Amino acid sequence: MLHMKDVSKVYRTEMVETHALRDLNLEVRTGEFVAVTGPSGSGKTTFLNLAGMLEELTSGVYTLDGVDVKSLDDKARSKLRNEKIGFVFQSFNLIPDLNLFDNVDVPLRYRRMGRGERHRRIETALERVGLASRKKHFPAELSGGQQQRVAIARAIAGTPTLLLADEPTGNLDSQMAREVMQLREELNEQGTIVVIVTHDPEIAARAQRNVHIVDGVAADLERGPTLVTVQPARLAAHPSV
Amino acid sequence: MFGYYLDLARRSLRRNFSLTVLMIVAIGFGVGASMTTLTVLHVLAADPIPQKSHALHYVQLEPRPLRGYQPGGEPTEQMTRQDAETLVREHRADRQALMTGGNATIAPQQAGLDPFNVEARWTTTEFFPMFDVPFVKGTGWSAQDDANHARVAVISRALAEKVFGSVDVIGFPLKIEDHEMRIVGVIDNWRVVPHFYDLDTDVYGKGEQLFVPWTTSRDLKLMRDGSMNCWDSNHDDAEAVGAPCEWIQLWVELDSDAKAAAYHDFLTHYSQDQIRAGRYERPVNVRMRDVTAYLDFNKVVPDDAKLQTYVALGFLLVCLVNTIGLLLTKFLRRSPEIGVRRALGASKVSIFLQLLIEAGVIGIVGGVFGLVLAWLGLWAVRHQPTSYAELAQLDLPMLAGTFLLAVVSSLLAGLLPAWRGCQVAPALQLKSH
Amino acid sequence: MDFIPIISTLRRHRTAATLIVLEIAFTCAIVCNAVFLIRERVNRMDRASGITEDEIVRIQLTGIGQKSDPGVITRQDLAALRGLGGVKSAAVTNMIPFGGSSWNSSISPIPDDPSPPINVGTYMGSHDLIETLGVKLSAGRDFTPGEYLDFAATGSNIHVPSVLITKGIAERLFPGQSALGKPLYVWGKQPSTIVGIIDVLARPNDWQGAEGRTYALVMPLDIDFTTGGNYLIRCDPARKVEVLAAAEAALKQVDPNRLIINRQTFGEVRRDFFKQDRAMAWLLAGVSIALLIITALGVIGLASFWVQQRTRQIGVRRALGATRGDILRYFQTENFILATAGIVLGMALAYGINLWLMGKYQIERLPVEVLPIGAGVLWFLGQIAVLGPALRAAAIPPAIATRSV
Repeated sequence: MLHMKDVSKVYRTEMVETHALRDLNLEVRTGEFVAVTGPSGSGKTTFLNLAGMLEELTSGVYTLDGVDVKSLDDKARSKLRNEKIGFVFQSFNLIPDLNLFDNVDVPLRYRRMGRGERHRRIETALERVGLASRKKHFPAELSGGQQQRVAIARAIAGTPTLLLADEPTGNLDSQMAREVMQLREELNEQGTIVVIVTHDPEIAARAQRNVHIVDGVAADLERGPTLVTVQPARLAAHPSV
Repeated sequence: MFGYYLDLARRSLRRNFSLTVLMIVAIGFGVGASMTTLTVLHVLAADPIPQKSHALHYVQLEPRPLRGYQPGGEPTEQMTRQDAETLVREHRADRQALMTGGNATIAPQQAGLDPFNVEARWTTTEFFPMFDVPFVKGTGWSAQDDANHARVAVISRALAEKVFGSVDVIGFPLKIEDHEMRIVGVIDNWRVVPHFYDLDTDVYGKGEQLFVPWTTSRDLKLMRDGSMNCWDSNHDDAEAVGAPCEWIQLWVELDSDAKAAAYHDFLTHYSQDQIRAGRYERPVNVRMRDVTAYLDFNKVVPDDAKLQTYVALGFLLVCLVNTIGLLLTKFLRRSPEIGVRRALGASKVSIFLQLLIEAGVIGIVGGVFGLVLAWLGLWAVRHQPTSYAELAQLDLPMLAGTFLLAVVSSLLAGLLPAWRGCQVAPALQLKSH
Repeated sequence: MDFIPIISTLRRHRTAATLIVLEIAFTCAIVCNAVFLIRERVNRMDRASGITEDEIVRIQLTGIGQKSDPGVITRQDLAALRGLGGVKSAAVTNMIPFGGSSWNSSISPIPDDPSPPINVGTYMGSHDLIETLGVKLSAGRDFTPGEYLDFAATGSNIHVPSVLITKGIAERLFPGQSALGKPLYVWGKQPSTIVGIIDVLARPNDWQGAEGRTYALVMPLDIDFTTGGNYLIRCDPARKVEVLAAAEAALKQVDPNRLIINRQTFGEVRRDFFKQDRAMAWLLAGVSIALLIITALGVIGLASFWVQQRTRQIGVRRALGATRGDILRYFQTENFILATAGIVLGMALAYGINLWLMGKYQIERLPVEVLPIGAGVLWFLGQIAVLGPALRAAAIPPAIATRSV
């Protein structure tokens, strides 16, 4: 269960205030599949950062699985992120020093999971993305697509409540979305919410739900393939106080 | 988690191997240099007789003429023969002994041994029990021997073994200069560091090998060593009883503060008597310093040893700043990885601990390296032209200290970089530029 | 090169920049003080003895047991030594410059002087002592043979009619006037007359500190070897070793019942006396070099990191028309700024350390000329250290700009 109410994000620097996201309202049910679309610089990444608890909200309420995120300290937020959220980063962000097995191991380690349990989960996750045989390889030895699959394995190994995936901009064949789609049934069984940022209208069409963001304002389109653009530029600049 | 952090540290350190080596070498050198000099200082500033350092007092009086007198000054460094002999005779302290350094030529009758010179001490009977001198055979001489000007000697184990090849030499004759003396005691290995009871000799030297009763040494005019200061030249023999010369050390043992205060009063009265008798001209000026105060007052620890320690600590400081800089560089270079770990659920504390453990590993390896260097450094010190050279040994506390210094320093050095490292925001690294 | 953009970049890397500035400052402060201390030690080691060092050897010895007539043996010894090949002159003396053990007296230009006594080293010896030492007289004359008294017969309870004093003590006692012919109270109530001024004659040790180093006098007191313990021999510099061996043999022949304690050329005496200073100077030099190396490596480490971190930025600059030289100079200027900040701070620290050391030891004020040496060394070191990373930066191709990271 993901619930966002009047969520806003303002970046303040010495010179300007930038409203990256304004009054976002969103409710996603367990097991739902959400596609987030929008032009470059519209606030998609900000949305992902907020949903993934990588950044704090400026205002509004965000609850994940019934937990109000705003009240948590770093340690609790980290714990929640670790247990509830799986990330597939835009640039995969595999740690080059670690082999595939150890890369998938990273979030499980921070969960202080027993050795046997960790191994079982890592093996399963790598098997699901078809890379079990290459677990001793290092990221640099893999193709871009394979790296992406490792990133997915790492995200799902922890059986997250919320899977956040950021589509690589340059990857026009929407490889990642397809990979994730293939795991859809299993993720559904686990009740995992999937939020995917994509440019591919086809993927968006197959999602249960579309969120379209333009200039920091989101339109939540329930089960609709139609894309609606709302409001033009709302970047506000204020002198600092 | 500790094991995991350790494993991560190992990987990270292997990855930037030259940087790791540089940090380890820097910490190692800093710690090695510091511990070498601190060990030397530790040896040089040691309490030579801890069980009695507050009971033993060095006594000074002021017998000089009024000429050149300035109020508030120190009395003479040593005693005149007349004062020293009188005070020992009066026997007002628990124990007391007068003494001077000397030297003598031993002319062994044994074949194959050439005559040789030894450092010696001419003193009185209570020297041995007062300074807890350990005997391997026999004992010191008696008060009766002092009174009889007996031809007896106490020798060191080394001298006994050199001349006789054994320590079972009680009653044996030993030819000192032209005189035959009977050996009454053999001292076991005994070396007080610093040589507190006579600072005019080599303060970190090996000490004396020969001890002869004071009275005997005067009869035989055995050579004295040390400084002598005379304030009048109208005397034929500076070593005579009435000569206006200070050249003798007097030590007393007083096992309570009350006794020490009483003895101080006694010395004051003695000085007043001397003034009344016209022998002393300056106002009463009595000093009694216990071993610790006496060594402090005379600044026994060589300035060079302290200077070396400051230099080494300065060196360690630069090494630490260097390590802080390099660790900061290293950790910030890993910002992307840290960002990912944060995103995947590592708390700031986890990251902080991970980085600190990496710094700690450098400290441990640097500590081992520093230990090797300290050991080498002390080996080098032992080959230096100083009399304390051979005393520069690493003992267990200093060994543990070295290790602790390395680990604590590198953890300290790791604090700032680790704190900066764990501040890396998770979100930033998600953007693909 | 414009400093402003570089400084504003440094402000954004404040922690790292501060650390490197601190490291340079500490190194600068320690190295400046170390250089100064080394210089002091070297000056000490170069101190003049006043004697013809390269022609002098000495034998220190002691008799075994009481000698019935040590004066006769001494005269025989000296006759034997003077007869050896290569020997110019020989004398017995109670002490030698830098020899360690010393005889000292309190002196005064007036009788019963109430002021604190002045302490001088007191040389005595056989009648050709002055010639054997080879000291220069800047005024007056050497003793005549008739002036010598027999010390063994009288001890110090004696009136010494004439003395020689060093220029150092002459200037202390009679500032601005000639000391020649003036009375000097040494031993007893009767004054001695100053008959000659010795240019320089060093004392055997530093017992009286820096001020008293040049204070010495010579008395015409003939001593025997049991009082003196030292035979000084002035000889052909090329034959010193040979003369020493022959001298020892000759002395043994006169009286075998004696123990040779030391047998050295004067060069060895000097080396022994200053060995601690030499060791200290080397230690300070070693630490300074190690510090400079560590600091250089620190600069390289930080510069490498910054080059790596700014790779893309550098590529963009190159793409926008910056030449390799521009990039190179950027990093060199940056290092110059950091080094300068470190040096300025280091100079202040150097003075602080110096003041602190002055409070603890007999150390003089840090001379100003040490500072530019320290500054120069650190500027040079910084530029050398940054060159590698700066060249790597300059080699970054502009194409980086269009590549995604």
